[in-house]
Amino acid sequence: MRRGVRARWTGVAAAVLLAALPRGLVAQRPAGNPIQQAFELERRGDLSGAAAAYRALLAGNPADLTALLGLERCLTASGRVEEMIPEVRTALASAPAPTLYLLALRVWAGAGLPDSMRTVAERWAATETDREVPYRAWGDLLLQRRDLAGARRAYTAGREAVGRPEILSAELAQVAQLEGDFVAAAREWLLAQRLSPGYRGAAVAGLAQAPARQRDEVRRALAEPAEPEGLGLAALVALKWDDPAGGVELLRRALTLIGPRGGADLATQFTADVRALGTVEARRALGEGLELLAERRSGAPAARTRLEAARAYAEAGEVGAARRMLDRIAGDTAAGGELAAQAARTLFEVQLAEGALADAAATLAARGAAFPVEDRAAMRLRLARGWMRQGRLDESERLVAGDSTVEGLAVAGRVALLRGRLAAARELFRLAGPFAGTRDEATARTALLALIQPVRVDSLPALGEAFVALERGDTTGAVTALDQVAGALPPAEGGASLALYAAELTVARGGADGERRLRAVAASGIPATAAAAELDLGRLLVALGRPAEAVAQLEHLILTYPGSALLPEARRLLDRARGAVPAT
Amino acid sequence: MKRRAFVSAMAAAAVWPRVRPARWGAADFLLVPMDEAQADHLKAYGVAYRVLGRQGRAEWFLNYRNGSFLLPADAGTVRDAALAGVTALPVAAAEVDRIRGELAGTNADAVPLEKAPRVAVYVPPGTPPWDDAVTMALNYAGIPFEKVWDAEVVGGRLPAYDWLHLHHEDFTGQYSKFYLTYAGAPWLREMVDLNTRMARQLGFPDVPAAKKGVAARVRGFVDRGGFLFAMCTATETLDLALAAHDVDIAASYADGTPMAADAAARLDWSRALAFQGAALETSPTVAQFSDIDGHQVNAPGRRQPLGAFTLFEFSAKIDPVNTMLVQGHRQVIPDFYGLTTSFRRARLKPGVTVLADEPGAPWVKYIHGELGQGTWTFFGGHDPEDPQHSIGDPPTDLSLHPHSPGYRLILNNVLFPAAKKKELKT
Repeated sequence: MRRGVRARWTGVAAAVLLAALPRGLVAQRPAGNPIQQAFELERRGDLSGAAAAYRALLAGNPADLTALLGLERCLTASGRVEEMIPEVRTALASAPAPTLYLLALRVWAGAGLPDSMRTVAERWAATETDREVPYRAWGDLLLQRRDLAGARRAYTAGREAVGRPEILSAELAQVAQLEGDFVAAAREWLLAQRLSPGYRGAAVAGLAQAPARQRDEVRRALAEPAEPEGLGLAALVALKWDDPAGGVELLRRALTLIGPRGGADLATQFTADVRALGTVEARRALGEGLELLAERRSGAPAARTRLEAARAYAEAGEVGAARRMLDRIAGDTAAGGELAAQAARTLFEVQLAEGALADAAATLAARGAAFPVEDRAAMRLRLARGWMRQGRLDESERLVAGDSTVEGLAVAGRVALLRGRLAAARELFRLAGPFAGTRDEATARTALLALIQPVRVDSLPALGEAFVALERGDTTGAVTALDQVAGALPPAEGGASLALYAAELTVARGGADGERRLRAVAASGIPATAAAAELDLGRLLVALGRPAEAVAQLEHLILTYPGSALLPEARRLLDRARGAVPAT
Repeated sequence: MKRRAFVSAMAAAAVWPRVRPARWGAADFLLVPMDEAQADHLKAYGVAYRVLGRQGRAEWFLNYRNGSFLLPADAGTVRDAALAGVTALPVAAAEVDRIRGELAGTNADAVPLEKAPRVAVYVPPGTPPWDDAVTMALNYAGIPFEKVWDAEVVGGRLPAYDWLHLHHEDFTGQYSKFYLTYAGAPWLREMVDLNTRMARQLGFPDVPAAKKGVAARVRGFVDRGGFLFAMCTATETLDLALAAHDVDIAASYADGTPMAADAAARLDWSRALAFQGAALETSPTVAQFSDIDGHQVNAPGRRQPLGAFTLFEFSAKIDPVNTMLVQGHRQVIPDFYGLTTSFRRARLKPGVTVLADEPGAPWVKYIHGELGQGTWTFFGGHDPEDPQHSIGDPPTDLSLHPHSPGYRLILNNVLFPAAKKKELKT
């Protein structure tokens, strides 16, 4: 059969070959005019043929730029670009033009003839009004070939030829950077700034790469001349070095030199850049930068900038500075009602953040009417949660009394839970449903409902105290209280699930006996709770770098509780523990 | 074993011996459906493979419920399927008889699976497992494999394996032609260092020469009865390296000399597995190798958009090999890019079997052929679940794609050598 198949294919192949032969032969000779033929040969990869075709065209017209560029492509791809030197010389002699000079520079560079490059650049410069252009092209070609010394010579020659110290400074800065001399680069970038402020972005990006050991000197090179350009540059570079505090100080010095009416563009760029840094220090620098920017604005834009500054200060925990900004807005007649309301809202946030709940309540009472009804309700609930966190359940309850929104019911349910009124909490959580609050809040509420569901008593103040401790951030106290409550309840009536919760809290705070607690719950045999404990154990063992034990645990979970809703998650974790999927 | 002998062996194979395995309830067997009822198509291949690894026997019901498996209902298999989350239905012997009747009357067949293939993946040392679709599929399905690279291939280790996978290796020795575009990138520097050191260690003058040596040995592996599966760049560059056995097709950065001016004309396509008559990409900065690839993803102006490819249907009883390779629950599959995404029809050698193509397009996606005693299969593209794959993309997590029809095609290839009736090596 194999022989038969081969014979058949040989026949078919021969037929195909015969049919294709005339077309194949025709295809060897591209149709069209000479330049199209040359292009076609080049496209097919017949570089020798294409080069010959381009040369034939040049024999008729030595300055045919299309043919010269085609010849350059073919010879460059073959590593033989130096072979076209005669053609380039002839072309230059017959019709010198900038494009030809540039081509000559490329060919000379490819042929490794730096002296000839200089000659071409000088001849070209003699014909140019913009005299640095040829020197820039010469240097750029050497830079591409990583000939840093040659590039420096070219740019310096250009600077000397033009006779101005700032000429080609951006190019020389790049050379210095590639040589690893960022101090010299900084000096050149300063010159480039004088030439055009448009170089600021490139300068910042370049100097950002300076190694740590050179940074102090770079900073001095920029800042010590005590010029606004250098100080501004230094401020922006400091941000790239993750030094927002140093940056804002340099910005302040630059703006002082510029004066009270100028420098808004610099301050704007600084605040835009510092926003990208996520640290507290950066938020503080943002606040200061915005405050400086606000001084350079007037009317409503100034008030809006101060409001932004207040928010940044608040996020940085600089409550005093935030209040200072908000006070300025309050005393600013240019700030309209909307802006004043936003300022009051920010003040409320600041007060909440610093735990000054009585002040926040007063702000809400005094300025609440300025807010839309929905915002006012949301602020009231935030205040209620704040009171809850401080264990002031009466105040919290008073704020949500009569609130029949799902968000209000959710907060009321949590207050009931903290008082240990489990029946009321269950009912309020049920009424709040799954859509109140954020997704995380809804998930947490559902988890709490699942936790107290099996507890068959309506009131359990000791459990409420455990949750109050948790609200206050006292995890140790919460775990102790949960242990006591769990120990007093039958495992199937909430004892096991509360013990699991205590174990999860212990693991979350890195407690040493988290694993022991989880194993104890897993051994309880209460189906849903034990399965959840086994999954938690699997996670813990993976996190502890004990994948083999995690695999055994998860296999036990999957085989023991085949109907558990946790199985998809368990299998995924099993894959991770085995290294079958990436740990993302 | 050639195709006719293989088909005869299939036909002659005794129906599974009626030795009753340890009973699981009333079940004699487990049927692993591969249609929409399957909870994890990819892991199902691993469960079947491990049955063979335990010296068990399995059957592949081609075209029955999209290529289901019949496995023994022993405790080990039941446990394995449960852990993997693979849907496995207990079936009694009478039900199996009924299914066999259905197979007999339709374009379907039962292929016995007898031996777990020994799998090797050609990959440089230290490569993360998430950069190769086959490695990911094998890891996810739980199919064991060993890694081989130039030293093992040149050192004659390939006969120890039944199945060899090549992925995105550039057998022209030009570092996937990223040398200039990614100059200075640490990963490229490492790749260059590693390849250069290995080439020297093996006594080759440069990396392109070393890769040609490796390609020749891979060809020999197939010729002597091995199963080769290649994806992405490995498909195209393997054939280019074979055809260029005495021609310099590498750019000067790779071997110090430019590509031979008449390289395209001097290629010897009789050495290649799948392709012929290709024109080479001569630019060292364009990360394409030739006009074999239909999509030219890295060639500005020539790049083609992605479509979808369609699997061919073969006769299960007459052509079981090709039928095995296209088992799937989707016949039309979204295409995905790779450095080599597809294969132009005009560049295929006569005798190459097309397993999947994009109807109306001048390219095909998935091809198969024979050489000597062995077979090869080429699948274009890099990662079936990452259609636009780029360097630095996050790794694909197959637990999020347990039903991937593209990955199923890869796993068909892994299991297909298990169907052989006799030892592969001479």
